[in-house]
Amino acid sequence: MELDYSFLEKTLLLVLLAIPTTLKLTVVSVLAAAPFSLGIALVRLHQKGALLRLVTAYVTFVRGTPIVLQILLVYSLLPSALKAGAAGLGLRVDVFALNPVFYAYAVFTLNTIALLSEVLRSALGNIAPGQMEAALCAGLTKPQAYAYIILPQALVSAMPNLCNLTVNLIKGTSLAFLMTVQDMTATAKIAASYGYNYIEAYLDVFAGYVLVCSIVQCLFHYAERHVGRYRLARQKQG
Amino acid sequence: MRPFDPSFIWAVIPALLPFLSVTLAVVAGTLFFGSLLGGLLAAGQVSGGRMVRRLARAYIYLVRCTPPIVMLFIVFYGLPKFFMEVFSLDINAWDKIVYVWISFTLLFAAPISEVMRSSYLAVDHGQYEAAVSIGLSPRQAFLHIMLSQAAVVALPNFGNAVISLMKEGSLAYTIGLVDLIGKGQLIISVHYGARALETYLALTLIYLVLTLGVEQLFSFLEHRFSGLPPSDAVWHPVKPGGEV
Amino acid sequence: MLKIRNVHKKFHHIEVLKGVDITVDKGDVVAILGPSGSGKTTLLRCINFLERADQGEMEFDAVHLEFTAASSREIAQIRKKTAFVFQNYNLFQNKTALENVTVGLTVGRGMSRIQAEAVGMKALIKVGLADRANFYPAQLSGGQQQRVGIARAIAVEPDVILFDEPTSALDPELVGEVLAVIKQLAKEGKTMVIVTHEMKFAAEVATHVVFMADGNIVEEGSPEMMFVCPKEERTRSFLRRILPQIEYNI
Repeated sequence: MELDYSFLEKTLLLVLLAIPTTLKLTVVSVLAAAPFSLGIALVRLHQKGALLRLVTAYVTFVRGTPIVLQILLVYSLLPSALKAGAAGLGLRVDVFALNPVFYAYAVFTLNTIALLSEVLRSALGNIAPGQMEAALCAGLTKPQAYAYIILPQALVSAMPNLCNLTVNLIKGTSLAFLMTVQDMTATAKIAASYGYNYIEAYLDVFAGYVLVCSIVQCLFHYAERHVGRYRLARQKQG
Repeated sequence: MRPFDPSFIWAVIPALLPFLSVTLAVVAGTLFFGSLLGGLLAAGQVSGGRMVRRLARAYIYLVRCTPPIVMLFIVFYGLPKFFMEVFSLDINAWDKIVYVWISFTLLFAAPISEVMRSSYLAVDHGQYEAAVSIGLSPRQAFLHIMLSQAAVVALPNFGNAVISLMKEGSLAYTIGLVDLIGKGQLIISVHYGARALETYLALTLIYLVLTLGVEQLFSFLEHRFSGLPPSDAVWHPVKPGGEV
Repeated sequence: MLKIRNVHKKFHHIEVLKGVDITVDKGDVVAILGPSGSGKTTLLRCINFLERADQGEMEFDAVHLEFTAASSREIAQIRKKTAFVFQNYNLFQNKTALENVTVGLTVGRGMSRIQAEAVGMKALIKVGLADRANFYPAQLSGGQQQRVGIARAIAVEPDVILFDEPTSALDPELVGEVLAVIKQLAKEGKTMVIVTHEMKFAAEVATHVVFMADGNIVEEGSPEMMFVCPKEERTRSFLRRILPQIEYNI
């Protein structure tokens, strides 16, 4: 099959230049989601009643619907909600002039909150209760016990799942073009539409995602070895 | 913009539901072909030579890095060009669902092969040895002893893979397939962009029912085939305060 | 110094403690004996609020409180006056031996790191593990882990150390090293409450022996009295069953 190699090369550069957008979407979503996810995980582990039902319903909703539907939903809901909210506060904001990337941040953060809470819940749930008891007996407060003893251990055991979540989120951000955000996929789509070089453009995007995902997986692998020193020690011993 | 009208959510569902069959056809076809390809990949990884193992692993790795939408576009735009230039065959007239099946088969095969491989490896090898020792051929041992046990182990992960396939399959509308979401988009455009929120909420409800239903189905199957009696039948409560 | 009155505790409608009183004076080594399920461990866990007792009161130096009404501040106060040695060690898996000992000082009590490390090393030397200071729990044997657990307990200079069957998770050949450390602490006059199945050890170190069964204290007294001429039939039958071979000589 004959490919247009000069176009392939030119577009690859464009796609690679859009990598920061993809990464920004991913990193901002994970960081913004993290505190909420931790809260939900703790509620699901330790609380009963209305709050538990509320967060469980939220997680079920996110896990049970396609992300593309979540995007369409938020994208059709958020502008008018923002407009109403701004009007209610007496502000005159043109919500339609808002950079679409903020909608993308909102969607992917809302999505990540639920998925990350599941990862954290299973990681926290797997820490032996004796660790908390010992921390309390050593004179630590509960928040201190979480900060110094429980969370560091949970993060290590969550690493493989965090890696999966991040890779899936990177792939998920490929749908940001639905919100007219210029990420890797959108860049290629636009470049392709000038001369109908779709196949070349999407091969470039494919290469871009493989590159980004590979780097991220390497980073996670390295991080897991670094923060999981205390576990590797055991492996070395046999 | 017209005000939000909750009653439209219920009104639009009957218009959407006929296209549930298209969405389910996407899932069913992918399940069938994807499991075949996944089975080959798993077999290649478990019992193939070094080259085959490496190829299978490389394939799985690449697919893990590929966003579904990119795979869908590569197949949808690339395949006709490929067929035209290599076989001089015009496949542009093929139904769009064929492209969807091909794309998602290529995607789904990777995770499903991992599910198959890990569940096969989870079955104790002693089971195979015991089967061979009583005179079953290796083939029979695999089919009658290993496979059924591996299938039970695979059920929960297989269920998760089906649910994520169901969700990813919703992207089919982006190449113009009129499935649930495709129909929803048509309805919205008929209303000139109004009623979008209501329609998406209706779709959300339908998808929630679908995914929760599949989840229930698999947890039922898991229970049914796990070979254990219902959990309360084996439960002997231990009296914490009692003497031992 | 520490007085507990009328402790009741239920788990799922089963009464595990049915009104237990216990008094610990400074320098006491109280050994709590009894069959499994008699409530010994629960009693210990109620003292530092790992379990919340359903009824009863506590007097700890100047602090008087009802178990059910204790505020989180009071609980924190009690926990800082006590230390706990767990049956399964519960060392912090993500911390080295030394960090396990110092985290209660630096984080829990705001001591400077340098000072805490000096205290921590002293505690590790006392349990004979100075050379393992930078090892992670996963790299230590069970006996070593429990000795770090004891170092963690003594480093915070508690008024009372609570031991919950400190040797029952250990392989038999590792029991001795842990008991030796506890004996040393007893010699130094540390106040301790020890739940144990090691009768010989209890007879040697205890100043006071408590025998529990079915959530009640059946009998208590000096080790001489308890091991040589117990009054209650429950105590006698338990001792007969558990130590037919041990003869106690005063």
